[in-house]
Amino acid sequence: MEGQQEFDKRISRGRQAMRDKGLQTLLIYDSGRHNFLRMNYVAYLTDFISVGPETMLVLPLEDRPVLYLSPVWDIPRAQEESWVSEVRPFNQLWSRVPSAPAKVGLIGREAMHVSLHDEITKSLGQTPVNAKDIIENMARCKSDFELERLRRAAEIADAGVTALHDDARPGLKEFELAAIVEHRMRYLGAEDNFGMVVANPHNQALHPPTDRIVQSGDIIIGEITPCIGGLFVQICRTMVLGEPAPAVREKYAILKKGMRLGMDAAKTGAPASDVAAAINDTFIEYGYEQYCRPPFMRVRGHGLGCGSFAPGSLEDGNQTQLEEGMTFIIHPNQYLPETGYLTLGDTVVMTKTKAESLMKSSWDIYVKD
Amino acid sequence: MIFGRHSVLKRGCSTWDPTQVPQTEFHSRLDAVRREMARQSLDALVIYGDNYSFADLCYLTNYFPKVRGGIAVVPREGAISLLLNIGSRDVPFAKTLTWVEDVRASNQVGADGAKLLKEKGFEKTRVGLMDSGNGFPLPQLEEMKEALPSVSWQVCDSMIAPQRLVKTARELGAMREAGHLLSDICDGALAFIKQGRKEYEVIADIDRLARDKGAEDIRILAGDKRLNPPSFKQSATLNNHWSLYLAVQHERYWVEAGRTFILSNDAQLQAAYQKTQEMVAQMAAQLKPGGAVAAIDETARHALGEFYSTASLYGFANGIGLNQWEAPFLNEDDAREVGATSVGANTLNANMTLALRVTFETEARIVLFGDSFEVTESGAKSLLGG
Repeated sequence: MEGQQEFDKRISRGRQAMRDKGLQTLLIYDSGRHNFLRMNYVAYLTDFISVGPETMLVLPLEDRPVLYLSPVWDIPRAQEESWVSEVRPFNQLWSRVPSAPAKVGLIGREAMHVSLHDEITKSLGQTPVNAKDIIENMARCKSDFELERLRRAAEIADAGVTALHDDARPGLKEFELAAIVEHRMRYLGAEDNFGMVVANPHNQALHPPTDRIVQSGDIIIGEITPCIGGLFVQICRTMVLGEPAPAVREKYAILKKGMRLGMDAAKTGAPASDVAAAINDTFIEYGYEQYCRPPFMRVRGHGLGCGSFAPGSLEDGNQTQLEEGMTFIIHPNQYLPETGYLTLGDTVVMTKTKAESLMKSSWDIYVKD
Repeated sequence: MIFGRHSVLKRGCSTWDPTQVPQTEFHSRLDAVRREMARQSLDALVIYGDNYSFADLCYLTNYFPKVRGGIAVVPREGAISLLLNIGSRDVPFAKTLTWVEDVRASNQVGADGAKLLKEKGFEKTRVGLMDSGNGFPLPQLEEMKEALPSVSWQVCDSMIAPQRLVKTARELGAMREAGHLLSDICDGALAFIKQGRKEYEVIADIDRLARDKGAEDIRILAGDKRLNPPSFKQSATLNNHWSLYLAVQHERYWVEAGRTFILSNDAQLQAAYQKTQEMVAQMAAQLKPGGAVAAIDETARHALGEFYSTASLYGFANGIGLNQWEAPFLNEDDAREVGATSVGANTLNANMTLALRVTFETEARIVLFGDSFEVTESGAKSLLGG
């Protein structure tokens, strides 16, 4: 597997946190229901992304970790892709759980169904402590290993934008537009994509594609989110088929200004809310205060990479300090009455002092003649 | 059972054409569910579904979550409500996928679900809870139950399952359409599968083909030694053969197929692939009304001999429809693997739909063939049209 040292370090840090909390064993669970805003804790510790419905890493403080999973036929892949040498069928978990000593922590409770939780509690004779902060504290800031994957994903996202610009044309259906982006990114190795690409002269919001036939003059908006090794980056861009109406250029310029001011506000040590405030103030300056709330927008960005927990949503009141190595998306995506929904956003990484974009695509509106 | 990597978003074509599947179809389903609710003295039913397991939710509402999940609140009388973990700006689009008029957004489905039940006057009643996919996030479920201490909860995970076992004419029509789409993809894949190409490049081409044909979602596993999901780690190039598992969701319904593409003159591989096809045909011959579900497994056991135990890891058959893995299951272990409480049926009936597959692992090489079928009065009929 790749990055043996990286995962050794994670396990070592995880065990230190277990000692600090007095935990003898950690149970780390994944349900196979992947969600780019929720962390896959098993993948973080093993580099293995499950296909089956049940995966549990049992990490004792002293003893060897064991990965339990279904389906059984996927065990060889887990052995090859992860550093965990002992991988067993999920149904053997029960022979291990009852022998777990004293205090047990559970990570992944959010993805667990009630019957499994009850069974674990019964087997242990105790309710395991919710210990997700152990991994979330470790994963707040990205390592060089993670940044390398994120940069690769960012190149793929940029390529997706380029593909859309190259191949979008009137007459295609919306789902074919989305397929253009998806294909280019998969071709470069993307494993998954939280991707929405839609076209309309006046978009209400982003959504998965329909069978609407794309017309000249349509505004194509996209939120493209490829995944490499369980790590996601996102890019948001706007494209117009044909010359954009003056109002579109004028209003899109507000998004660009908001993006720039949002980037400037993202200073290491500053609260996450500063970014949201900078973007909101931009729209307020142009008379759109009433549009700085749902349903016209959601948040001005959010944590990204392996979940959204750090720094959380870029919105008023989020006092989480931006730290070196945090990765998140800044997106002043906005519905405006004159143009409909417009999108612009980059995934950034915090350096020692400020945010730096991982993307290379221009912030300009894309025009397809 | 074969599982593909669940995607974070159902990002294929997402539409509902009421002229193809009209509201009356859902009303008749709802009537049957309400009769069962009355029989069980339930005042309301809460059905959870998410983008991994949406069958029961979709069966009544036609809605399938694109990301995360949501609940339908089904009173024994009166209007259904959908409470979805989406943003308020997403509600208009969600409404294009369902006949349900009351669609609400929430980022805390448990707490808001409790409020919705209270609003409808169910805070001191008997409420059924249906989560056959085991997806209701535990903290949300706890929030909902804690906010409704006087509700008498009844687990109803399998309430709709018997109804879904036998497909209606419209469902079969949708599945045949999905089957034809999958058949086209299998045929089209031939053009991409060539020695020396990288696996993920070929997968990208197949995925594009499916999306361009309007698939709602796709699962692809492939390899020559084992079945792998698309991964940047799986950068091998195609060699002498390549096995491919494909499942597509189209107009809500899943169909699956397995194919092995032999790219050399390896007679042993060709013979093995021939055998998998023959075995699937033998299993399909058991698909007749009144036939025993267990006969499928017995046929596989008899035909596979020493290879049976390895091949059984992938499962030989399961029901397919709104869920990739649904009743009837061949055995309790298969059912348990996907969280079902029972095999669902021991006897086959006309208009059931099943996926059949045989997977050989021999000398570190994998060979796979599979297809999806409907049970007709005259026997099995491939949904792929073969």
